[in-house]
Amino acid sequence: MRLHSLTLRNFRGVKDRSVSLPAIGTTVVVGDNEVGKSSLVEAFALVFELPDDSKAKRIADIQPVGQDVAPEVTVELTLGGRELTYTKRWLKNRATELAIVDPDGRRQSWTGREAHNEAERLFAENVDPVLWQTLMVSQGQSLVLPTPADAEPLITAVTAESGTPVDGASMPLVTAVEHEYLRYWTRGGRPTGEFAKSAQWVATAELTAAQALKAMDEVVADIRRAERLALDLEDLSGRLGEHLKSVEELRIRKKDTDEILLRRDSVRARAETARARLENHTRTRVERERLLAEVARFTEADAELAKRRTDAETVARKAAETVRAAEAALAEIVELKEERRGDVHEAERLVSKLADRAELDRLLVQQSELVDVRARIAAAGMVLDGVKVDDAVVAALEDARAKVVEARAALAAGVPEVSVRRVGAEVVLLSGTGLDAGAGVKVPGELEEDVQLLVSGELVVDVPGQVEVRVHAGGEAATLRSRLDEAVRLEKDLLKQARVKDLAAARELLRKADMVSAELQEARRTERSLTANGDPSERIALLCARLGISAATGEVEEDEPKPSGKQLPPVEDVPGQMSLFEEFEEDTFDFSDLVVPAMEGGDLGAAERALEDARAELAVAERLLSDAEFAAAQARKAADEDRSEAQQARARSELAEERLAAAVEALVAARAVLADEEVEGEEEKATAEVEAVLDELTAVQAQAHEAGADEAAGALNDALAVATRLQGERDVLRDSLRTTEGRLEQSGRDGLATRRDTAELELAAIRAEHEGLKRRADAARRVYETLGRHRAEAQTKYSEPLQTRIESLGRSVYGPSFKVWLDDDLAVAERELDGARLRVESLSTGAQEQLAIITRLAISHLVSTGEGSVPVIFDDALGWSDKGRLRDMGALLGRAGDHGQVIILTCMPERYEYVPRATFIKLEA
Amino acid sequence: MAGNSGVVGVLVAWLSVGRVSVLSAMEDSITFLHSSDWQLGMMRRFLGPDGQARWAQARLDAVMRIGDVAKQTGAAFVVVTGDVFEHNQVERQTILRACEALKRIEVPVVLLPGNHDALEPGSLWTSAQWTGHAPSHVMVVTDSKPIEILPGLEIVGAPWRSRRPLADPAAPGYAELPPAPEGTKRILLAHGQLTSLSGGMSDVPTIDQVALEAAVADGRLHYVGLGDRHSTTEVTERIWFSGTQEVTAPEETHPGNVLKVTLGADAIEVEPVRVGAWHMVEHHAELYDEESLAALEDWFAELPEKERTYVRLAADGSLPLPLLSRLDAMVDAQNEVFASVERWAKFWTVRPAPDAADLDALQLSGPARAAMEELRQALAGGDEGAGAALTLMHRLARDAG
Repeated sequence: MRLHSLTLRNFRGVKDRSVSLPAIGTTVVVGDNEVGKSSLVEAFALVFELPDDSKAKRIADIQPVGQDVAPEVTVELTLGGRELTYTKRWLKNRATELAIVDPDGRRQSWTGREAHNEAERLFAENVDPVLWQTLMVSQGQSLVLPTPADAEPLITAVTAESGTPVDGASMPLVTAVEHEYLRYWTRGGRPTGEFAKSAQWVATAELTAAQALKAMDEVVADIRRAERLALDLEDLSGRLGEHLKSVEELRIRKKDTDEILLRRDSVRARAETARARLENHTRTRVERERLLAEVARFTEADAELAKRRTDAETVARKAAETVRAAEAALAEIVELKEERRGDVHEAERLVSKLADRAELDRLLVQQSELVDVRARIAAAGMVLDGVKVDDAVVAALEDARAKVVEARAALAAGVPEVSVRRVGAEVVLLSGTGLDAGAGVKVPGELEEDVQLLVSGELVVDVPGQVEVRVHAGGEAATLRSRLDEAVRLEKDLLKQARVKDLAAARELLRKADMVSAELQEARRTERSLTANGDPSERIALLCARLGISAATGEVEEDEPKPSGKQLPPVEDVPGQMSLFEEFEEDTFDFSDLVVPAMEGGDLGAAERALEDARAELAVAERLLSDAEFAAAQARKAADEDRSEAQQARARSELAEERLAAAVEALVAARAVLADEEVEGEEEKATAEVEAVLDELTAVQAQAHEAGADEAAGALNDALAVATRLQGERDVLRDSLRTTEGRLEQSGRDGLATRRDTAELELAAIRAEHEGLKRRADAARRVYETLGRHRAEAQTKYSEPLQTRIESLGRSVYGPSFKVWLDDDLAVAERELDGARLRVESLSTGAQEQLAIITRLAISHLVSTGEGSVPVIFDDALGWSDKGRLRDMGALLGRAGDHGQVIILTCMPERYEYVPRATFIKLEA
Repeated sequence: MAGNSGVVGVLVAWLSVGRVSVLSAMEDSITFLHSSDWQLGMMRRFLGPDGQARWAQARLDAVMRIGDVAKQTGAAFVVVTGDVFEHNQVERQTILRACEALKRIEVPVVLLPGNHDALEPGSLWTSAQWTGHAPSHVMVVTDSKPIEILPGLEIVGAPWRSRRPLADPAAPGYAELPPAPEGTKRILLAHGQLTSLSGGMSDVPTIDQVALEAAVADGRLHYVGLGDRHSTTEVTERIWFSGTQEVTAPEETHPGNVLKVTLGADAIEVEPVRVGAWHMVEHHAELYDEESLAALEDWFAELPEKERTYVRLAADGSLPLPLLSRLDAMVDAQNEVFASVERWAKFWTVRPAPDAADLDALQLSGPARAAMEELRQALAGGDEGAGAALTLMHRLARDAG
């Protein structure tokens, strides 16, 4: 189909407008809003759809508001090779006219309803509605991606190009295959429906059959068991019967032999009694012999032990004496040692006293030196206290001096210097303020010689009666003067504080103070060395106390509590010394009263030698004592051992006596029962008796052996045991058989074989049913999968032509990496750009719109050569693209016009300025 | 069985009072019926639940028809030589229904325990279910002592005491017997395979046919009624397998009979009388074209008594897909008509053979055609699963088209 022209009259806001469109190429119809661009599209749709007498609201809507006029549309187009001119007027003066020129030039025309029907028929015959809807993009629809799978011309074109027939006709088969598949399988491939149920039924039936079979197997096993038990029972009963017969035979035989055995038992009992009696007599004889031997042995031992006891007691007595002698000797030596120890103590006391006295002498000398030194320290301290000059004071004075000199120099430079020289004899008086003759020289009131003056205030040189000269310093003179005065005042204050007359005096005083200070330090070092071991006075007091030396006066005033020793050394020349002596106030020792008598016999060396001698004597005495103690200990130990020995000998002797007495007593008792001479006789009698009864026993045993008496009893016992065992076994078998038969009777009532057969029958039926279902399910799956695979392959191949077109067009916009994938509806599903593959929903709005336009142009391109081609109409598009994309898309829209009719309606012509070779039609308001 | 002599007394009295004509006939001959292998309670998995129920009833019906035959032939009594029941542990219903069927036989019935219902521990014969309900004219042989069922007529039996006998299961019935007294006829009831007929395949001891014939020859036995073989079989003139009263498997050659035995002074006459109503048929079909399929359809059509017929069908060959569908439909339909039509899986090798014309007729194109072609090639390559898939797809395409 190609559109050639559209004419609208009284159509919405359009009074009368005609638009001609080129049959091929891209046309851009430009018009501001509301000028009726969209009406063109609407008019084209209405003219084919609604007859002139239509009462549809859409017709009422197109009538201009408030105007009683008839909307009218005329369209000229080519349709299926025919040229059509089709006019329709609604509402008023309704009319429909159709004129057709066939390819062969034949003309036909219709009016009214016939015209409408013919036009409608031709449109339906030549225009695929899906394709038409796909390629006509209404306002606001430009983002919608086309899904053109049902557009017949497209399918024809794709089929022709891909060589893959579109299998539209086989869709019912696909549905049927899928339906068949879903009867047996879920989409995920799991059994479902009857098929799944039948598998469960098979499992259930298998379980039932297995249980029934097991129950029946148990019955069969029970039958076997019962058969076996019955056989065993029969066999055992036979054996038991046989055995009981032999038991009876044995019982008879045993009765016969029992008499012999009774007799044998009697003889055996008598033999036992005789043997016991013999043993008793033999024991009596042996006991008697033992008693006699014991009495003899104990008598001898008793005598021996008594002798040993006497000897031991003698030895013990001698040892006791030896101990006593040793202890007497030891006492003497102890006394000697105590004497020697007294000598040593006496010598030690003398040596100690002499040593204390020697130390006291030394300490007294030291104390005297200490007093001297402390006097020197006090004197030096007083001197130093009087000196007010130090390095800082001297430095301050020097500074003050320098400032005075400086101020004076400034004054000299800043004030008039007046030289007054006497040249006559007249009195010349000098007066005024701020005068300075320099360096502390006072300005004379009367000039006597030449004088030079600095004038900071006013100088009056008066030669009375002659002349009076006044000089005024003026300017800065007063300030300079006051600075000098201040410097001089400062210096004086400092000298006064330092108590010196000038700087030189201060320097001299500082030098002297340094010397005194050095002396003071020397004296303090001496004092420290003298008191290094503590203050000597404490030690002196201690030694005096020890030696018994005290003050000679001994008279202490009661009313003068001041303790002695408080007398101070002279301090008049040593100011500040008092404080030193104040430390002694608590010390009560009075040196002045100390009388140290001469020492009698006081040779310390001789005393020390005497001490050494006394100690040597003591050592000798101690050695003697040690020896004596050892000897005494030895003697005591020997005495203890001998005493112990004597005690043991006594104990043993006493024990022997007791045992002898006991043995004798036992012998006496035994003899009271049976005299010694009768013992052996009794024993011989008993021996004879035993021998006689043993002979009798041997005879009766031979008789029993001959009769087999012992074996008969054993055999009977054994046989009875076997019989008991067999009876027990038979009872067990009988019980087992009864139990098994009871079970079998019950199972017979339960009809277990029928149950098993029924279960197997049902299982077979269900299994057959399931196998049938499985065959059908497998077949359905095979068909479903095979067909599905082929459809997927066909789909891929089938969509290829459209995909290729879209990619080809898209690459001119996006470059060579552009790729798309189509879904079953031939709609673009995914796009890849620069290796990034995205679903179209994920693309930007602009990219989606561009893809929608590209897809439509690709479809148009594919169908352009066929009969069913239709124009591509965009009612406003590319509203989302930037300038760069507008250029590329414009080029694409221009190229699209090469193959067909592309019509763009827009109020933004600048969007399409890059469309090459486009025809622009401007709609004026 | 302790009650045996009592039962015999009842039987003899019953015969004396009720069957005077028979007694008088004894001077010349006596007629009785011989049956075996009723195997009541048996199930056949190929019949399905419905077929199974009808077939079980048919087996009881056949027992009752034996009663009719007895009446018609004037038989003095009926002997059943083993396997009256399928199992010692059949359900109570089976026993009670059997008792009811036995009541329909108006002459004395002597039952011999066989391998299926051996007189083993837990045997049905000693159960209260049997002893409480068994009709009074029915007697079970529990030992091998001769039973004088009529004056001048002795029955000796060799009941199975275990399902696994250690020696010739018939021997206890006659091995120790002296020759029959003058004028007395003797019938042996036994159960088991004959050495000569078992082909050495039996896993239990067989009956020594030579010894049996010797016993017949030396006058110890005058008729030997055997059970266990389901087909009516004449071993010798006086040694017979009666066969089952109603067919149990397609392999059986002459099932469904009862033997009418007339024992004369010197002669014997044995005549099979049909009492069974069912058929079990095995059929093998070669299927390769429409004609062969039609032949099979005809074969089915011609079978009588379809509702009482089980068909085991074997087939091989290959068929185009439409014919294969037709075959499936036919077999399914016949299965509804017959008692059962079973595809014999072991011998069922009919393959689909799709040709190009089949596929073209469906007018498939594109993926559907390609899929079908793939399946066809897979089938040609021996892929059995592809055959079923192809058949299904063919049907779906045909229905969808």
